[in-house]
Amino acid sequence: MTPAVRDTAPARANVGAAKLPRLLPASRQPMELEDHLKAHGKTPYRGGPRMLIHTIESADLTGRGGAAFPTHRKLTAVADQKGVPVVVGNGAEGEPASDKDKVLLWSSPHLVLDGLQLAAESVGGSQVHLYVHRHPELLRRLRSALADRATAGLDRIAVDLVTAPPRFLAGEESALASRVEGGAALPRFTPPRIYERGVHGAPTLVQNVETLAHLALISRYGPAWFRAIGTEAEPGSMLATVRLANGTGGVTETAMGTPIAELLKLTQHPAKAVLVGGYHGAWLSPEQAGQITLSNADLRPLGAAVGAGVLAALPTDRCGIVESARVVRYLALESAGQCGPCLNGLPRIAATLTQLADHRSAPSARTDLQRWSTLVDRRGACHHPDGTVRFLRSALTVFADEVALHEAGRCSAGTTEPFLPIPAAAPAYEEDWS
Amino acid sequence: MITGTALWYASRATGVVCLVLFSLVAILGIVVNRQGRLPGLPRFAVTGLHRNLSLLTVAFLGIHIVTAIADGYVHIPWFSTILPFTSGYERFWIGVGTVAVDLVAAVIITSLLRDKLKPAVWRALHWLSYASYPVAVVHSMGASKDLRSGWLLALTMATVFGVVTAIGYRVNDAFAAVSRPRRVPLQLAGADKTGGVR
Repeated sequence: MTPAVRDTAPARANVGAAKLPRLLPASRQPMELEDHLKAHGKTPYRGGPRMLIHTIESADLTGRGGAAFPTHRKLTAVADQKGVPVVVGNGAEGEPASDKDKVLLWSSPHLVLDGLQLAAESVGGSQVHLYVHRHPELLRRLRSALADRATAGLDRIAVDLVTAPPRFLAGEESALASRVEGGAALPRFTPPRIYERGVHGAPTLVQNVETLAHLALISRYGPAWFRAIGTEAEPGSMLATVRLANGTGGVTETAMGTPIAELLKLTQHPAKAVLVGGYHGAWLSPEQAGQITLSNADLRPLGAAVGAGVLAALPTDRCGIVESARVVRYLALESAGQCGPCLNGLPRIAATLTQLADHRSAPSARTDLQRWSTLVDRRGACHHPDGTVRFLRSALTVFADEVALHEAGRCSAGTTEPFLPIPAAAPAYEEDWS
Repeated sequence: MITGTALWYASRATGVVCLVLFSLVAILGIVVNRQGRLPGLPRFAVTGLHRNLSLLTVAFLGIHIVTAIADGYVHIPWFSTILPFTSGYERFWIGVGTVAVDLVAAVIITSLLRDKLKPAVWRALHWLSYASYPVAVVHSMGASKDLRSGWLLALTMATVFGVVTAIGYRVNDAFAAVSRPRRVPLQLAGADKTGGVR
């Protein structure tokens, strides 16, 4: 069925300033083009490059892929480059504990696709790609959404779908650029930065799909509407993937600055520790997590960050060292094997942490882990070693008592049943990266 | 014009030198390809030796051809240098040598223009080396009765054995090489065994 384009004004009552969710449909039923047009109207093109950038700057929108980089600065940097930019929507979250990009693309594809067109318009881009994982159903849905938009004449630039391999690093910007070029999704050395020379040497704008969806809403309802929730320094809402200590959870849209205890229901479901920011993120003690909000202002002083909005409460009957060892092992295996520190360092760290978890470690294990962390930190082409040792160091700090127990051959956990999700297969072939 | 047998012997002698040098260049090329080392030489020197010996081979090949054509005893037209099977004398065996020269020329010229070519083009044409070597050996054995007996036969056999051994090493090494994605799990398995500390 072809949805008709209505020229009626969007029903703004549906998007009251402080009302959540903004990005995901309240009914959780996927938004078809007809529903999307009814709620938000047609793609609000501005009529030329850079016209939207000031609005985005006033809204203070930051990247929701993990780095929280100011979106208007990225738009400006790409628009300032010589050459015609390439624009890529990044929906290939590699983080096993994160589902928000998939859920957003599934539920509100048209907000993302609107944002992609608007971002392309504001940097003067001529080529638009959407980079997503190879989920057949999601791809089918996106193709049909794109076909609907083509019929309705909404997209000025045809969107090319590019599939990502199921790898942790597939969503890294330079890996994304290589994949969009048709190669393997392997990180490259920077500089040059992707915004200077990315896909086939063209200046390339890479924005997380959630950032694009926010951008599409801000261009319709304005910066003041966006800033009506969240904090002064970190306005707006964000998608978070939460895992409560009782094993329930999912993707939820929350205002920036919401207390972490509230999101994880820590009073009802006490936790042994809280993981913030995913597998490149950091563990916090329940006391730390209980006092702060989901914001970089609160998290950065603790060596953590909001990242892509992954929050997990470790149940009290689990062992933090066992869980961390499994995660670090997974991260070591997800190394692209390109840089020495990652290829040599992470396997040693993972093996030693595994031995600590299994009570088989040498007496020097703790100091070895600390020393190797320093050796691999900031020594790779991408941030994989840095993120991995950030996670490791926070585990050694937050679970210091547990480490001592393990050194003495004991463990505080009642069960070794895995809690954090880890995909089964490690890469074994070159094709696994493309 | 030089008369007598000087040109004739010069041509045969340089032919033998070319065969030995060509074998060395082939072996060095395989060492370069596998990023191998030679005792006392840094890696870039191995590459340099491969390149310079190949140019020296070309010089000897030039003398070999020019002396063969200039010698008046047998008639080989100059265009037989490029066009195979056009020589009156030993039409077949000289023709085989011409084929080898054409293949070598393709390899040498593309290597001299390597900066201007796409790496894949250069690489594809460099594979012709493997075709040119046996053709050159067949020409040597066929055109010259000298190589069919005595110490020259032994020398020829030794050079061919050297090149065949190097090819065997290359194939074996390529199969044994660990692909990049497999390197990481292997490292982890190794670290598990040693306890991470080496």
